[in-house]
Amino acid sequence: MNKWEILWNHREMILGGFKSTLVLFGVSAIAAFLLSSLIVLAIRTGRAPFGRVVRGVVDGMRMLPFLIYAYLLYYGLPSLGIRFDAWTAGFIALITYHAAYFAEILRGTWATLSTGQAEAARAHGFTTFMMYRRIILPQLVLRAAPVLGNQVIICLKDTAFLSIITVRELTAAASAVQSQYFIPFEAFIVAIGLYWLTSMLIEALVARLGFAAERKGLGYKLAAVRR
Amino acid sequence: MRNVSKSFAGIEVLREVCLNVAHGQTVSVLGPSGSGKSTLLRCINWLEEPDSGEILIAGVRIGVRADGKTHMPDRELARMRARIGMVFQSFNLWPHLSVIENVTEAPIHVLGMAEDEAIGRAEKLLEKVGIGEKRDAYPYVLSGGQKQRVGIARALAMNPEVILFDEPTSALDPELVGEVLAAMRALAEEGMTMVVVTHEMAFAREVSDEIVFIDQGCVVERQAPEAFFDRPQTARARQFLSRYT
Amino acid sequence: MDQAALHTLLLGAWTTAWISAVAVAGGVPLGLALALLREARIPVVGHIIVLYVSLGRATPLVTLVLFIFVGAPLLGIPLDRYTAAIVTLLLNTAAFNAEVWRAAIRSFPHEQVEAARAAGMTRVLIFRRIMLPQIWITSLPGLVNEMTFLIKASPAIGVIGIVDLTRVTNRISAITYEPLPPILVAAALYMVAIGTLVRLQRLLDARAQRLAM
Repeated sequence: MNKWEILWNHREMILGGFKSTLVLFGVSAIAAFLLSSLIVLAIRTGRAPFGRVVRGVVDGMRMLPFLIYAYLLYYGLPSLGIRFDAWTAGFIALITYHAAYFAEILRGTWATLSTGQAEAARAHGFTTFMMYRRIILPQLVLRAAPVLGNQVIICLKDTAFLSIITVRELTAAASAVQSQYFIPFEAFIVAIGLYWLTSMLIEALVARLGFAAERKGLGYKLAAVRR
Repeated sequence: MRNVSKSFAGIEVLREVCLNVAHGQTVSVLGPSGSGKSTLLRCINWLEEPDSGEILIAGVRIGVRADGKTHMPDRELARMRARIGMVFQSFNLWPHLSVIENVTEAPIHVLGMAEDEAIGRAEKLLEKVGIGEKRDAYPYVLSGGQKQRVGIARALAMNPEVILFDEPTSALDPELVGEVLAAMRALAEEGMTMVVVTHEMAFAREVSDEIVFIDQGCVVERQAPEAFFDRPQTARARQFLSRYT
Repeated sequence: MDQAALHTLLLGAWTTAWISAVAVAGGVPLGLALALLREARIPVVGHIIVLYVSLGRATPLVTLVLFIFVGAPLLGIPLDRYTAAIVTLLLNTAAFNAEVWRAAIRSFPHEQVEAARAAGMTRVLIFRRIMLPQIWITSLPGLVNEMTFLIKASPAIGVIGIVDLTRVTNRISAITYEPLPPILVAAALYMVAIGTLVRLQRLLDARAQRLAM
């Protein structure tokens, strides 16, 4: 039998893994973004000592490889009596780790916004939270879209590390298929192709945000000129 | 506004300032740069928190609760600010929103106005300040004068009891000043309550009901415009005016 | 954690360090070569490089290292695990380095090239004497930043059985039954390494800014 045929006959395994990867990635990326927006709000409007502590945690997290962090949650914490299954540990790791990166991107972008806009929002009766949600955050997303997009792709790639802590995602599935039927080329090429496809979709989305930003004069080229 | 004082880093910018603006009046605040005019305005809607003194809008204190001590929580302060319009020197339009969205944003999300109603009103206001045709443009394509007229429409859309103008024409090219002043003049004639910090002497003289002259954080003179411009009472006011004639 | 465990851990750290260093040493010049080839606007080559960079950005290292380690022998290229790990990291970091180099090449002021041409310099000479010394300085912060990403992605090589600084924690806890201490020490070592690179990047950035003025 042709190797591609073998793979085709076991497509359920690969597609099942791909579905797991998409769920891990999609849920984590969205949750991480929401968490990061709250972190940034806390850093910017919370009390100073609290903000410093949060920033310290964010900076520290960004100095860790994702896998050692996942190890910490999955293998390390049970010593302290905190036990997660691999999926839960994977979700927690992806969400909190990438929230730190998103938070740093958003915080850095916020620093480039003029303070007048926030002031105008206050003068028009916005509460702090509403001002953040309606005036600040949309601009942060538009302005930082390419950088956020890169981070989202890194989040997608980091899901593959979870195969090491026994999560059955795409890479684990490809690995299982290849070792059972010895079709490493076919199995991994398809897996890489699926990762690539997903990242293309992410980039298309970022490009659309880019067009929206351009139309509003917040484009990256314009921003660069202004700087 | 009673006995309001404010210091920045130990430097006293406002010293026991009292100001009273009657309903429907236009008061112009004049004074040399650095005299505390802008701070005075920003204290009114609590963008700056005064160190002492009190500010009342239609008898209700802003920033501090009725007991005179507890600070207003975010939400309450926001509700108070919604009743005070403000127009900024640097426009401060929200760049990610189109002109019409800039004007409807706060009415919809702060006042809870229905979207249709907010849009209808915004269109009328934009028409009124003469930029109806820019409805769907984004701020970055507008000239300074157009931006400022959007700023005025945005403030008006909140149906404020008073509008504060913080040097609304100072950031504009001279040929664009006229269109903004015309819009402000129309408002004053309609009986809007306005507090205007400005360097436009002709405008202040013609449109104001009262002139407040401040210098070094103190109110030095308050007079009807003709009296102030023709017969200033103090040396400081005379010196100030001499630079504009 | 006892002495023996610490010793094992440091061996893991050393493995991560030298494999990463070799990958960087190869990936930086390969990235430059890719960037130059792409900017040369040779029809097909350009497209292939774009595809390469795009795939490199999208492929998880865990997947890539498995692919290379298991797949290469089928092509008649036997690879031991260390070579497979180095090739994987190198190919990956080169894709990102190519983008850093390209940005520097693109923003290089054209007037300088014209001045060099007017002085009678050949293209090779212009690149070697005028461009390279300058784009090196403007690229370096980005390249160092890329190194931090490489180190953060390097634990992927554990999947083909290399005992690096992350995987070594499994080895130690298999003996001591205490996974937390080695993981924490390994995490601390990573933080020191990456923290140092981040600081270096800031210094280099300041230097690059001075050049820009």
